[in-house]
Amino acid sequence: MPKAVKGVLVECDESIRAIILKIDAVNHDFIIEDLDDRTLVVKETKLPELKRRLEEELRDTQDEPKDSGSERD
Amino acid sequence: MSASSLRSFEYLESLPGRDFKRLYQRPSTALAIFRRMLPHLAKTFVMAMLYITDPLTLSELELWVRPDSKRHVLHVIMPAKEYALSLLSRLHILNTSSVPGQGQVLSLTNDFATSLRLSLTGGGHHQSFGVPCDTPDRHKASLESLDAFARSQWEGILHYMVDTAGVGMQDGGEGPSHGVKKLLELGGLVQMKGSYATITQAGFSFLLQEVNAQVWTLLLFYLDSAEALNMDKVDVLHFLFMLGSLELGQDYSLATLTATQIQMLEDLRDFGIVYQRKPSSKRFYPTRLATTLTSDAGALRSVNAGFDNALRSGDGKGFIVIETNYRIYAYTSSPLQIAVLNLFAKLETRFPNMVSGRISRKSIRVAIHMGITSDQIISYLTTHAHPQMRKNVPILPPTVVDQIRLWQIEGERMKPTVGYLFKDFASGQEYEGICKYAEEVGVLVWKNDAKRMFFVTRVEQVKKFLENKAKSAAAGANGG
Amino acid sequence: MATTLDAINRFSVDKFTQKSRGRSRPQDSVSRVFGKNDFSYLALKPDHDNRPLWINPVKGRIYLESFSPLWAHAQDFLTTIAEPQSRPSFLHEYSLTTHSLYAAVSVGLDPNDIITVLDRLSKSPIPEEIRNFIQECTHSYGKVKLVLKHNRYFVESSDPGMLQRLLRDEIVGPLRIEGSEEITKERAPKMGGLVIPGTKNAAGVKQQPGQTPDQRPTRDEDGAAKEDDIFVTLREEDDDDDDADQVHSFEVPTSGVEAVQKRCLDLGFPVLEEYDFRNDEVNANLDIDLKPSAQIRSYQEKSLSKMFGNGRAKSGIIVLPCGAGKTLVGITAACTIKKGVVILCTSSMSVVQWRQQFLQWSNINPNDIAIFTSDHKEKFSRNTGIIVSTYSMVTQTRARSYDAQKMMDFLTSREWGLMILDEVHVVPASIFRKVTHSIATHSKLGLTATLLREDDKITDLNFLIGPKLYEANWMELAEQGHIAKVQCAEVWCPMTSEFYQEYLNETSRKRALLYIMNPRKFQACQYLINFHEKRGDKIIVFSDNVYALERYALKLGKAYIYGGTPQAERMRILENFQHNEQVNTVFLSKIGDTSLDLPEATCLIQISSHYGSRRQEAQRLGRILRAKRRNDEGFNAFFYSLVSKDTNEMYYSSRRQAFLVDQGYAFKVITHLAGIEQQPGLAYDTPAERRELLQEVMLQNETSAEIERIDGDLFGERTGGGGRGVGQKRGVKRTAGMLKDISGGQDMAYIEYNKSKNKELKGKGSQRNPFFKQLDRENEKRRKQALAMLKD
Repeated sequence: MPKAVKGVLVECDESIRAIILKIDAVNHDFIIEDLDDRTLVVKETKLPELKRRLEEELRDTQDEPKDSGSERD
Repeated sequence: MSASSLRSFEYLESLPGRDFKRLYQRPSTALAIFRRMLPHLAKTFVMAMLYITDPLTLSELELWVRPDSKRHVLHVIMPAKEYALSLLSRLHILNTSSVPGQGQVLSLTNDFATSLRLSLTGGGHHQSFGVPCDTPDRHKASLESLDAFARSQWEGILHYMVDTAGVGMQDGGEGPSHGVKKLLELGGLVQMKGSYATITQAGFSFLLQEVNAQVWTLLLFYLDSAEALNMDKVDVLHFLFMLGSLELGQDYSLATLTATQIQMLEDLRDFGIVYQRKPSSKRFYPTRLATTLTSDAGALRSVNAGFDNALRSGDGKGFIVIETNYRIYAYTSSPLQIAVLNLFAKLETRFPNMVSGRISRKSIRVAIHMGITSDQIISYLTTHAHPQMRKNVPILPPTVVDQIRLWQIEGERMKPTVGYLFKDFASGQEYEGICKYAEEVGVLVWKNDAKRMFFVTRVEQVKKFLENKAKSAAAGANGG
Repeated sequence: MATTLDAINRFSVDKFTQKSRGRSRPQDSVSRVFGKNDFSYLALKPDHDNRPLWINPVKGRIYLESFSPLWAHAQDFLTTIAEPQSRPSFLHEYSLTTHSLYAAVSVGLDPNDIITVLDRLSKSPIPEEIRNFIQECTHSYGKVKLVLKHNRYFVESSDPGMLQRLLRDEIVGPLRIEGSEEITKERAPKMGGLVIPGTKNAAGVKQQPGQTPDQRPTRDEDGAAKEDDIFVTLREEDDDDDDADQVHSFEVPTSGVEAVQKRCLDLGFPVLEEYDFRNDEVNANLDIDLKPSAQIRSYQEKSLSKMFGNGRAKSGIIVLPCGAGKTLVGITAACTIKKGVVILCTSSMSVVQWRQQFLQWSNINPNDIAIFTSDHKEKFSRNTGIIVSTYSMVTQTRARSYDAQKMMDFLTSREWGLMILDEVHVVPASIFRKVTHSIATHSKLGLTATLLREDDKITDLNFLIGPKLYEANWMELAEQGHIAKVQCAEVWCPMTSEFYQEYLNETSRKRALLYIMNPRKFQACQYLINFHEKRGDKIIVFSDNVYALERYALKLGKAYIYGGTPQAERMRILENFQHNEQVNTVFLSKIGDTSLDLPEATCLIQISSHYGSRRQEAQRLGRILRAKRRNDEGFNAFFYSLVSKDTNEMYYSSRRQAFLVDQGYAFKVITHLAGIEQQPGLAYDTPAERRELLQEVMLQNETSAEIERIDGDLFGERTGGGGRGVGQKRGVKRTAGMLKDISGGQDMAYIEYNKSKNKELKGKGSQRNPFFKQLDRENEKRRKQALAMLKD
């Protein structure tokens, strides 16, 4: 009989998947199955934490630019 | 039909037939429904049948209809006639029956017809249009004071919704009553975070509606909760429809109101729909919010323009400027408008007639977390764009619009779907069969034929399918 | 200079708001959102709709409605007294600072006038705090001038009390020249008969020395007051006050000038330097005038009128966007002063360009303008003239060659009337100090496109050169057609999985290389090049990383120029770019930022731009801001910044754009280029090719990820970090060094291979465009002529 595993199907960009793999690499406690370049199955209970960690990783790429110019507020 | 009519119509539709019977016993209700709920063709049909005693045949009715007339209802185009007839039927205004030899015949329901006739020609002792007070009021409320009262009550409610930090009114007011707060929560317009209310996505949409639509939205929530409070729904509806027929500036007596309706007065005061000088008053005044409950669209527009100060500036013009560098400038001094902007923008400086600030990733993400969507924000900015902005096509800078959407998407880098992963199939055949089934029942979201894996949202059907297959395979094996 | 800063910093708007905090103001439910910045208590004037601005009393921020009828006056006024912060479409923001007020006073504005006009333009009565701030600031500035007149130095002030104070000072007092009258009084200097060449006034009017009053027309034909004369109109309305038009002065010897300057600085009264060139009888006059063909635009005229507003030359800085004609402003200033001029540039190429422009727009005798660079050490033939050189040449500390030393002696031994400092904001304070101490000049004009400095040393500049005299509005210039309207876009290129995996694992230096060499970026670059070439655009692709530059250019089959490209080759490539229909795209390294005479381009693609320098991005835009043809949408130029998605590159990109965005440029985000996958000949479209590229990139050592250092280029030295001196090795040697590290024999072949496209352009006889051949011949002829002339 085939197996059925409960989990969350996560569809994303390739780069996001790469980050998820990196996050998982530490303890292997997020990913149930790595399906393809843009799809994974993740533990349902770990999803909120994964979202949080992902946002953290992406923060480096995001800027909150203040004023330009010679402002000294 | 306007949006609010649609909602109230949906509500009415959901009522059981016997409620309609009771509803139509009051002329004011019949009239209100006639005025507000019926499109022109339906009104024509009703008027055609109102004073004749025999039923009309379908073909006779069709004389009133242009053969090619169509109607747009919720993205479905249907012939106007069919639409009108079906509407009248669902509102229990129209009876249809088949008569051999004549085909379909139509007639108005008794209660409705009687009440409508009474409302048109007067007479009867129904007092359903309210009883004006016969004694003069020593403290007569002026039109201005009624408007001011209604506005401040209504703004108080809206302000409560956007006041996310829950600091509340510091200008002396206490905000809406406990009952109203509860209603907002029950209706899903705010959610409670500890003791503070934060606005939800539905709440933000609510904010964007016209006043009249907003009033109906709240009233419908009220109706829903009425039963739980041992209030007779029909009584409530009667009162609401009656209010719609009252005259602004006129005070009315409590003498003819039912117990339920007297109970309602308190709540209606909270909404700003009626005014009473004190709770023990024997009279009440309807405010503009009441008298326009059942007005047609034209009257509403002028009312909105005059009254709708809360969400529009001054004479209904737009007031927000948003620049290509994400700075926002709003010509307003209204605390409510400022509070709304504060939901998704970082406001920095305030002048007597203008506030300035910025939209940023951070400020938009805060709004997104509350459930407000980028589309809603964009729609709000567009609707209230300053006249200078309106000179542009498109009105809002495209880069800003795109960026707001992108900021929302940033938080949605993963698309999660809860469900079950199926794997370890013995053969390609086995896999294909089950996969196909999953697709047929509509639970399949992903598959990979090479890997022989798929993902479904629900497992019950597939499980059953597998079990049945196993049984029949076993049976086959045994029976052989 | 620290003491100046102290003096300046004593005054900030904040100080004045403390007094007002005691007042309790009515609060409402949203007051807490604004905290200290809730100014809803201010009274609105009844006609506030007609007045265009609000003032923030706490921060000195000014908000201006650009759609107000009074906008033009207001903008002009605000640019003079405040720093522009944000100038998009509808509402502009300015900041009132100590520096901006200093600048205002130095161009001659009276503090009371400033307050009056501000009040007039403001929707609410001018707040007490602002009034006090302006008065306190301007109280000390502009009170004292140092004027060189008839070859004598005078300490001048319109306030006799100020002079008395200085005379009583223990350092300044004794410097007064004995025997002269204690304080002399005379009429304040006026524009008088001074006419700036090329301006509207110049037509038909001859310049006269002396002081006959002859005001420029202050009203147009229809009576409306002209923009910048808002003060003149004010004065017309006031009673004429004789005293205000008087100036008082006492004389000090030349030897005491520096001491006076320093002392005044310490006392908190920085002196303004003014050069009364019309009454300079010692220094020889330079025979120079603008050619009739030289057209001065309104904003150029405005900037010069700030410099020469009272008939003397004020020292200071003029800020104009790239491509708006800064050079012509410098030339016109020189034509106005008509004394010896020294011009300092950031590179030899700029030096050549300046000289060319002088010859093009003025009637100066070619013998009167000479070049001082490492290749040329010339002097002018007569007793006065113009020398054009670089900052590096005049400040280098190592031993000079004999010729070079002679030139330096020549420069330092005479008095110059004007020093023009190009790209002034890149000059480190230290270099500038050296320059001013060694070369004596009576006035200094700094020219730049942006006052932005990442190191924020604008303060020093104010006092080393002078205050900002004028700053143009980019958007306005674009609307008027003086600079190109640019469509800016950021193109997001997703990283491929393999590249991204490595990126996640790598350290920061290598990371940069990975996100620059992202195959999808190659593809996007290819796509955009194809797209724009089809449109007939001329395209420049920038990369400040040489390794990437070469790989991209090679892969996409285009010519490229970097620091190590020999001069002749550079010229050849650029000439082809300009005139050859087949050559529409050229790849440039940072060398393109300053050192190349770039012809008009209409499209700029940026594939690598390091570490978020806002100035860099603004500068690059300037390279294409010369385009004038409009297309249907009103844009005539395109700027693409390619960034790799989900990498740090995105962070740096938005920081760089901040300046441009505040000037009013909108950056589109392009998340997907339509049809890019279907492009024929798509680069790196197979996984195998991509892996190969990745391998190669991973093999690079960390120096490949560095930005290019350009010899003799001030920009390169400054932004590269890590103090490399001026006398560094040339770029090409370093590149060869890097490549050698990879493998043995391949490097030479690799270099040759890289140069393939460049070689192609050398032309194989039959393929060459006849026009181009002709051009070559003419260039050669001109070159020979020039050489012949210089041999005098």
